Amino acid sequence: MDETVEELEERITALRAGVRRAVLDGDGPLAGALRRDLRHAERAWDAALDSASTDSASTDSASTAWPGTDAGDAAAPVRPGVMHVPSARDPAGPGAEPGLGDGRGRGALLPLREQVHEALSLLQVPAAPRLIATVHEAFFALAFPTARLTSLRRDEERSFRSAPFARPYYICAALSADYLAPSRGLLAISTWPAERRIIGSLSPRVDFLVSAINVARAIEQVPEPVPAARALLSRFAANVRGSSGAGGRSFGPAGRIDPQVVIRAAQAELEVHAEEDQRTRAGAARRARDQLDDAQQLFGAGIRRPRSGEDDEDEDEDGRPGRKAAGGR
Amino acid sequence: MDGGFTDIEARLARLRGGQLPETYDARKIAALAGNPGCRRRSVLDAAAVEKRRVASYIGFPAPFGQSPFAMARESAFQAQVKDNGAMELLALLREVLGLDLAEAHYDDLGDVAGNVNQGLRYAHTRQVLTAVPQRRGTMFDHPLLRFRVAGRHAYLQPDLVAFRHDATFHVVMVRSFPVIDGQADSSGVAAAAIQSAVFVLALRDLLAGAGLDGDAMVHHETVLVTPRDFANQPVASLLDVRKQLATVRRQVARMDRVEDIIAPLPGDLTFDLDADDKGVPRRRPGDLADAVGCVPASYSPECLGACEMCFFCREEASEHGDTGVLGKAVREDLGGIESVARALRLARGQGPGPVPPDLAEAATIVRRAARLRGEAMAGDGAVPGHGAVPGAGTVINEGTGAS
Repeated sequence: MDETVEELEERITALRAGVRRAVLDGDGPLAGALRRDLRHAERAWDAALDSASTDSASTDSASTAWPGTDAGDAAAPVRPGVMHVPSARDPAGPGAEPGLGDGRGRGALLPLREQVHEALSLLQVPAAPRLIATVHEAFFALAFPTARLTSLRRDEERSFRSAPFARPYYICAALSADYLAPSRGLLAISTWPAERRIIGSLSPRVDFLVSAINVARAIEQVPEPVPAARALLSRFAANVRGSSGAGGRSFGPAGRIDPQVVIRAAQAELEVHAEEDQRTRAGAARRARDQLDDAQQLFGAGIRRPRSGEDDEDEDEDGRPGRKAAGGR
Repeated sequence: MDGGFTDIEARLARLRGGQLPETYDARKIAALAGNPGCRRRSVLDAAAVEKRRVASYIGFPAPFGQSPFAMARESAFQAQVKDNGAMELLALLREVLGLDLAEAHYDDLGDVAGNVNQGLRYAHTRQVLTAVPQRRGTMFDHPLLRFRVAGRHAYLQPDLVAFRHDATFHVVMVRSFPVIDGQADSSGVAAAAIQSAVFVLALRDLLAGAGLDGDAMVHHETVLVTPRDFANQPVASLLDVRKQLATVRRQVARMDRVEDIIAPLPGDLTFDLDADDKGVPRRRPGDLADAVGCVPASYSPECLGACEMCFFCREEASEHGDTGVLGKAVREDLGGIESVARALRLARGQGPGPVPPDLAEAATIVRRAARLRGEAMAGDGAVPGHGAVPGAGTVINEGTGAS
């Protein structure tokens, strides 16, 4: 084959941009020609991938497909709706070389929302895009640009409003305990209980401690954690009182941070905050159930407008695959 | 009182002309506190004139305060310390303020249910912060405060305000200049100290407005968070800003007397660019430069780091041979003598007419300095009394030291 998967992906991206420009400019013949090229490239990409890995034959163009501009392409394969259990999937484990083609390739096949779902399922608490990306890089061997997450929540909201509960889960908002408005920059999973998605004034700390515990537990299950995972744990450990520093208590045999120490220290602090935080969250969750409709319970009350033109552009790129995936199920 | 206030407002509005008023922020107050004698900056800031625009229109654009790299660096560092429930910041505050383990609350006051309207945010901040003694809270991110300067309210946003169990608030500043081996860039620290003093005063005002004892509740020690050494690891230091509080109070009192500065200026003076419908200025640049020149400035090389008008003022000061061009130290040593040429004439006893009484002391000092220099140079075989300007500065320093 002439081109590698990565080169093909670059070419596909460039072609899609070309198609979009041509369509927007009203240049039909050019758009048609570019679409033909695009389909060739996509087929070549499928073929390249199939030969690269026979077991991960399920291809998925849903994450980046453009059903709006590429309506004629009915051949786009649909990825089976597999729910991934994060701890069960371990590209960084002994079977796979961390960071090498196989792990990366497989990760890239997942739509962005599923990557976010993987990371959030590991953390088990609402998290900011930056942490989600770090966790995904540390445990699923793939980093993604956080900028793409800015529009994800809005796309999910749009999808939910057009066909409520059509998907098994939605990436939704965490709600502030006072106004039940979407909490700035935090993403959550719709299947979590409402209490977990409420952010009171102690919740940021509680959520941090819970995510520190979950990251530590996840690291324990990995025989050889990648450097990114260890870096994440040591950053967390440095900010949990009693889990780092004095006497090297937290360091295991290889001079590494002992996850158990982090877990114990985080749990100790968690006990101090848990009751007050739980009270706030339960109260706000009750209010949310009483006062808000389904969509508001997931995406928050109050009006949020896009803040910049950049967001709008993202919206186009990520918005369409969202709808397509919803329709495909 | 009311009538006078309106007159001043009208006068300032005329000075500003058709431009949109620029907001008054902590940086402006800090810059003015650094050079309190500058009437030009006082007037331009009080009139909320967009100095950057004026400066570039009259041919002296200042690439000042605009480095996108520095701004990106600062916001990245801020985001880092406030990430994950402000985990890094909380660890630092526990260390420097001795917070209890249970004090880990974090409230984001950056918007009110998604609304970022300033008036609304200020009201929300006031409501939350004044209720803190009853309800619990530790870290308040992006509070919006209000400060009355030169007859108008300026909205100010400290990086964070921390509340401690002994019922005191501490202003927290996050800056991206590093502390290397325990030493930070002194001008950066000085600016941060002045700015946090402004925040302390604004916060005290807010609490006092709700009938609380603001002076006692807002601590004069503020927390400065900076990167340590050459890494991104944050470190917190306490800054005692009592001196800066006094400076800012004095400054603000002066600014409220901006009418005294405006009074001697021509009544039809304006810094208007006379923009047309499309925002293209129609005023002659030379004309605007003359208008700016009407208000006396007090230039010193320090202005280059703090004021958008700096290049214009520097050009003007070197044309006039102002002593300020040689630095604040020289200007102060020469007390009262405004130009270098005058100082040299006084030193050589060539002044036109007798020395005026207010310059008598300064004249004695420069003469003695010139004599000492002459003696020193005579030993080296140089010609006395014809030193270059920087040399004159050096000798005068020696002279004052000897007297």
